[in-house]
Amino acid sequence: MIGFIVKRLVAGIVLLLAVSIGTFFLARAAISDPTAGLLGTTATPAQRAALAAKIGLDRPLMVQFWDWFRGALVGDFGVSWRNFQSVNKQIAIKLPVTLSVVTFATLITAVVGTAFGLIAGLRPNSLFDRIIKTVSVVLFALPGFWISLVLVVWFAIQLKWFPAVGYVPPAQSLGGWLRSITLPAFSLALGAIVVVAEQLRNEVIAVNKQDFVRTLRSRGLSRGRVTLHILRNASPAALTVLAVMFVGLLSGAIVVEAIFSLPGIGQLTNASSQNGDIPILLGITVVSVIFVVIVNFLLDIALGWINPKVRVR
Amino acid sequence: MNQFRALAALSFVVATLGTGSWVVAQDAPTDLNIGNFLDITSWDPSLADIGFDGPYLSAVYDPLVALDAAGKPIPVLATAWTYSDDLLTLTMDLRTGVTFSDGVAFDADAAVANLNHLKAGARSGEAYLNVTSITAVDADTIEIALSERDDTMLYLMGLGRSYMASPATIEAGTLVTAPVGSGPYLLDEGMSVAGSEYHFTKVAEHWDSATYPFQNIAIFPIIDQTARHNAMLSGQINVNFADPLNLEQAKQMGWNITSGVSAWVGLQIVDHMGTTLAPLGDVRVRQALNYAFDGAAILNSLGAGAGQVTNQVFPAGQSGNDPALNALYAFNLDKAKELLAEAGYADGFDVSMPMSPIFALWQPVVDQTFGELGIRVTWDDMQMMDYQVNAPNYPMFVALIAMDNDPVATLARQVSTQQWYNPAPQFADVPELKALVDDALAAVGDEQVAKIAAANQKLTELAWWSVWYQADNTYYSVPEIAVTPVIGMMFPTLRSIQPTQ
Repeated sequence: MIGFIVKRLVAGIVLLLAVSIGTFFLARAAISDPTAGLLGTTATPAQRAALAAKIGLDRPLMVQFWDWFRGALVGDFGVSWRNFQSVNKQIAIKLPVTLSVVTFATLITAVVGTAFGLIAGLRPNSLFDRIIKTVSVVLFALPGFWISLVLVVWFAIQLKWFPAVGYVPPAQSLGGWLRSITLPAFSLALGAIVVVAEQLRNEVIAVNKQDFVRTLRSRGLSRGRVTLHILRNASPAALTVLAVMFVGLLSGAIVVEAIFSLPGIGQLTNASSQNGDIPILLGITVVSVIFVVIVNFLLDIALGWINPKVRVR
Repeated sequence: MNQFRALAALSFVVATLGTGSWVVAQDAPTDLNIGNFLDITSWDPSLADIGFDGPYLSAVYDPLVALDAAGKPIPVLATAWTYSDDLLTLTMDLRTGVTFSDGVAFDADAAVANLNHLKAGARSGEAYLNVTSITAVDADTIEIALSERDDTMLYLMGLGRSYMASPATIEAGTLVTAPVGSGPYLLDEGMSVAGSEYHFTKVAEHWDSATYPFQNIAIFPIIDQTARHNAMLSGQINVNFADPLNLEQAKQMGWNITSGVSAWVGLQIVDHMGTTLAPLGDVRVRQALNYAFDGAAILNSLGAGAGQVTNQVFPAGQSGNDPALNALYAFNLDKAKELLAEAGYADGFDVSMPMSPIFALWQPVVDQTFGELGIRVTWDDMQMMDYQVNAPNYPMFVALIAMDNDPVATLARQVSTQQWYNPAPQFADVPELKALVDDALAAVGDEQVAKIAAANQKLTELAWWSVWYQADNTYYSVPEIAVTPVIGMMFPTLRSIQPTQ
């Protein structure tokens, strides 16, 4: 198991390095003169040159990269070129917003997706199964932003249960926080629920037909205990989908953050791209990759725990 | 029945989860909740943008000079001002008894420190290009010395380039994130969430309290126009930087709807002399480009009809703009082709132009129109920040350029001074035009207005631009609140947002 974990960690670090290097050079290639976005159109050439010198743009590209990379290695992503505030601090402010929404969405997806998938899988071709399949097709076909807008119109504008836009930090009001992330989380989760449910349903049907299940039933185990055995054997595929969904939801949050005006990582990415604030973009990229690596790592551990055969890969 | 009970219980739980900060009494004009388009650029007035920063900055800072609805400078912290006879020294009397929120008094030394900071600012410096020195004459008087006459300085100061911050914070370099001014409101950092919502509480003892009647202000920067509209529908905001596409619904809701022209849309011609693209040096070709675009059709189809069709860069309906000139290039494709043929370009010509996502809306119009004329365009795609740097290196480019209500400022910023869109002003290369522009800038009062009109007529005849239309900024507000647009500001400052009388 330790060898398995070390292998996964090394793979994660290699991925992190590759993405960091790629992002740095791609960002610098895409934005020819960041000072124009940072200082605006009224800045004089002298003011732009002064800013370029201040943020080190007048040095060779490799020197700039090495400086950034040395800092990144010890977790220091430097300062924003726009306001000279710490990148770490700005990401630390925005990250909880995105994580709140994505984690809540993942939780909803896991609970509802598992329940729907399990029930539909245990009773294939029942009315419930058909309803789930129909809803799955419809939700899968509908664009996420449209679902978001429907939720806003219904629950924020008509019923006024939730705010249409904005974010309330939990420290300010726990209830306000929950209300502010509920609609964005459901917007993200609805599409993901059907995928997890569909995946689990198919696995449950397959596992249900296996000999060991029949044996368990013949030994007189209760329906609940048999279902638990089925779920454990059917869950790896759904768990993998859920992990992939979590990573996908992180990027999908950019759209949801725009629709609900949430000050999360997506909004910061958007603003930094427009301003040419490359240190922020690099910091966000590295943090996102770290999350991908961690999620995949945890997934591998979980799959290894559920199914010991996986550990020998 | 059980399902109904569950739903009712869920409703109850949700309804009692807590109020949060978003609940707004839509019919309570004591609270002003603004849906702005952009987040604040910077709390440091020297780095802030005029465009959408006005509501934020005017909450926490007092300016020396503000603008009224007509774009005329009005006194704020500067109570009066006079120019010397040679127009090279501006003397300002300052308000006394004003203190910044950190307790430091506002006086001439504070004003000098602020103006020097603003003069050095990358964004604010444009207002003080001709300033050679700023000195404190006494505790409540300052003098601004100019290297040459500058009729635009007071206007630009009023537009948002004279906000006064505590000199201690300027020295400490902390203004970027922590504003300390003498304004009518204080930023409530505890309630605010950077990038999402900013809350302000009224300063009870502010010297101009009556101009700022709202007790609490919240500003929500919301880029997505649908989200802003939904926030307005849900009652979260009561003033919105609006999308004209929602006009019918706004009428049904009984909201106040105000709008005013803000920017011209068309082709910015850089190479009037034909140095890099010979055809543009021929006035007939530039006139053909004016005849060829159907401004009214473009405004209706792409601008939701929110704007004014005119071929000039002076704001429609304001001083400098002559409605009679609008007929000069009525849409006529045949006439455009005829002019091109006369100029020797019957088969058109090749041109490279920059393109950025923000201008992609108009790209098909240019493609189609140029196609009709035989002009073969090659587009160079780039990001917006690169567009602003590189576009002026092309002979012409698609532009959306903000306008000013002050005719002198318009003449200066559109024609005679260096701007990002006009890096090498070429008016001086046309002697007749140079004489008219110089005359206009040298005149004063009504004579100046008349001479600017004459310069505008010549500029239009020379087809200095191909202006298709002027786009509106539109604002929706609840019936209890009225917004007065100010040309030059994408979102007006708080003094322009008042309870309905």
